[in-house]
Amino acid sequence: MTATAPGANAAFAQEDDVPIPYMQRTRDYYLALGYDNPYRWASFTEVPFAPLGKPLGRSRVGLITTAAPYRPDAGEQGPGAPYNAAAKFYQVYSVATDEVPDLRISHVGYDRKHTSAADINTYLPLTCLREAVTAGRIGSLASRLHGAPTNRSHRATFVDAAELLRRCREDEVDAVVLVPS
Amino acid sequence: MCHQTVSLVARHIEADGIPTVIMGCAKDIVEHCGVPRFLFSDFPLGNSAGRPFDKVSQAETLELALRVLESAPGPRTTAQSPQRWSEDASWKRDYNDLSTLTPGKIAERRKEFDVIKDVARARREGT
Repeated sequence: MTATAPGANAAFAQEDDVPIPYMQRTRDYYLALGYDNPYRWASFTEVPFAPLGKPLGRSRVGLITTAAPYRPDAGEQGPGAPYNAAAKFYQVYSVATDEVPDLRISHVGYDRKHTSAADINTYLPLTCLREAVTAGRIGSLASRLHGAPTNRSHRATFVDAAELLRRCREDEVDAVVLVPS
Repeated sequence: MCHQTVSLVARHIEADGIPTVIMGCAKDIVEHCGVPRFLFSDFPLGNSAGRPFDKVSQAETLELALRVLESAPGPRTTAQSPQRWSEDASWKRDYNDLSTLTPGKIAERRKEFDVIKDVARARREGT
């Protein structure tokens, strides 16, 4: 295989062309707004790791999203909608994967200046996963996907994580893809 | 919170023996937490699974995530998608950018956020 390399004449990237430091930006932003209790983001020294037990082509894959089911009574939730706290959800939910559900992301702080959430496939790769099954890339898709509530409370998220694991075990998945909105 | 949420969930699921991979756009939050596998797309938040209305981008993003799932040598494996949002990276300056906010605008944002917190609290307590 021929290696690709930019070579000695490659131009430098723009100096600020680095992954956005969201924790720092968020901290500075809310301090400027007058909230003087910076959030402590979760961080651990140990990280679990479980190798795939079988080839992906024979594996059932699960999908977890932070997108929210559309609710007609929860205000504006469409592409470009302003942040909508009324659309947040606080319980794990599950929906079938045999068709693309109507899930939205108006309840999260996505980058509203540069993207509009008009294409669900940018935050829910369900169609791509189904095509991966058709192509034999993965063995099968779990019959349902699960929604994870987003919560500042680590404790609340641990409770939700236990429920999500329980549902993944019920689905008998061999691997899980998680996609934050 | 989305990226932290899935990071904590991925850790919990993996600790029980099910391999996981996160597809996301906030590299610092996910790596700070410490997750088994992460496919990072350097895109605006909201595009963890690829560029809008771009099936090739979306298919390639998922394929990379699947390859990370298959081939990660150990925990804290991050692979970065080679896709670029745009040649000009100035979009990265804008998220929670304070440089253009006047004191009046900051006060307005504070009021808006106080309302948001009240709505979220009411929703949470009503659930």
